Amino acid sequence: MIGWLRHQKHALTSSLRRLAAQPVVTLLTALAMGVAISLPCALYLMLGNLNRLAGELPAQPEISLFLAADVTPAQKHLIAARLKQLDIAAARHIPKEQALTELSASQGLADITAGLTENPLPDAWVVRPQAGTPEALKRVAAELGKLPGVAETHLDSLWIERLQAALAIGRTGVWLLGGLFAVALMAISSNAIRARVLSRRDEIHVSRLIGATHRYIRRPFLYLGALQGLLGGLAAGGVLALAGTLLRAPVAHLSSLYGTSFQLLPPNPTEITVVLALATLTGWAGAWIAVARTLHQTSAIR
Amino acid sequence: MISFSQVTKRYPGGHEALTGANLLIEKGELVFLTGHSGAGKSTLLKLIAAIERPTSGVVSVNGQNISRLPQRAVPYLRRNIGLVFQDHKLLFDRNVIENVVLPLDIAGFDRRESLKRARAVIDKVGLLNREKSNPVSLSGGEQQRLCIARALVSRPALLLADEPTGNLDAGYAADIMAMFRDFHQVGTTLVIATHDDRAITALGGRTLHLDHGKIEEVAA
Repeated sequence: MIGWLRHQKHALTSSLRRLAAQPVVTLLTALAMGVAISLPCALYLMLGNLNRLAGELPAQPEISLFLAADVTPAQKHLIAARLKQLDIAAARHIPKEQALTELSASQGLADITAGLTENPLPDAWVVRPQAGTPEALKRVAAELGKLPGVAETHLDSLWIERLQAALAIGRTGVWLLGGLFAVALMAISSNAIRARVLSRRDEIHVSRLIGATHRYIRRPFLYLGALQGLLGGLAAGGVLALAGTLLRAPVAHLSSLYGTSFQLLPPNPTEITVVLALATLTGWAGAWIAVARTLHQTSAIR
Repeated sequence: MISFSQVTKRYPGGHEALTGANLLIEKGELVFLTGHSGAGKSTLLKLIAAIERPTSGVVSVNGQNISRLPQRAVPYLRRNIGLVFQDHKLLFDRNVIENVVLPLDIAGFDRRESLKRARAVIDKVGLLNREKSNPVSLSGGEQQRLCIARALVSRPALLLADEPTGNLDAGYAADIMAMFRDFHQVGTTLVIATHDDRAITALGGRTLHLDHGKIEEVAA
């Protein structure tokens, strides 16, 4: 057990020394890995931010009811009564006079509305149902649409649903891209470690002649791969932080044009930890492949 | 300690380095292997250290059948064998003491204890003042002594040396042979492949002559 710990410590310190001994190689490999890691991570962060943007918009979908132009007071009364039932969370009545005033005030259409001889807008209700699922919403909308005096219903959640669907595709894309880049990462690590294994062929050969086990020979390279992966992960963090800094001002400008105060959200500590752990693991796996191949070849030669 | 029974070693390509060789070496013996180059001396040593496996026959070291030894057990066998190479096989990316300490690192010894033992054995081969030098800066004789120090640091019961004085002038060669005599006197089993007849007469011991893959005992 103590011998095992000693071997681990020895392997770790010698790997660190070797990384430090070739700073340019180490740095370039870390950068290559960092760029590879940062691409799926950037996409992931972008989706997270878009998702949040979607979440800031009315979370509860609304149904707009437009009444027919020839609606009778009795029908209006019935509709109002229906909207007081339990499956409706809130309902707001917008009389057509109010709608016209708001329209001319808010969107600078006063010139146009002033020229109208009569109000073309219908009376309307904005209804927020209790139910949250898209199916239930559609059912309520359909039912309200059949009430006498209702000309049209409009389900406002549709575009959010579409956005969510697009985001779901994006999330699948993140996983696909992440998987592909993990393979690329393993290849980068494997190549980097293979070069180091080959440069230490003599040492490996001599060590085996004087009683080194495969595990002993493999260990420092595995540490090397893992550390290289970790450095790659940190480099990716640097790349993303830089991108975030560069994007901050344009995003603030864009969101101010929309009259909101949207800001890019950085990854949370869990996400950072997971990415660093995965980078370390892929670096380690790449090193394993490289050493196993080389050991196999040298043992054939002896 | 070492026994060969009807051992044949044929290399890919058909060259037969040993043919039906029989051999018994007792614990504590000092044995010289002679014969012209290509007679099978190196092959015989490689078979003992499980660097090569016999094509047929049984090689047994310390009661272990080398031909049947699983690959993962080989490192542990080698830790009990000191190997001295004609080309030294030193590592030039580290200094003298780091070269000597390598077998102890591999065996998982405490670092401080390892360094102490390495220094003692470096002293024994007369390189203590070169402890921090790179092996590149050593002469051929010094490099050979360093190789011997590395072979001895784990205190093996068996020392195999392949042409240890092959590249050295007479003075150095005598030094090294004297060193081997000392180890023999403390009970180490030594098998030395050489064609240095002076060394053999100086040290005495048993001599085996190899010729075209056959072993003959040479009367002292």
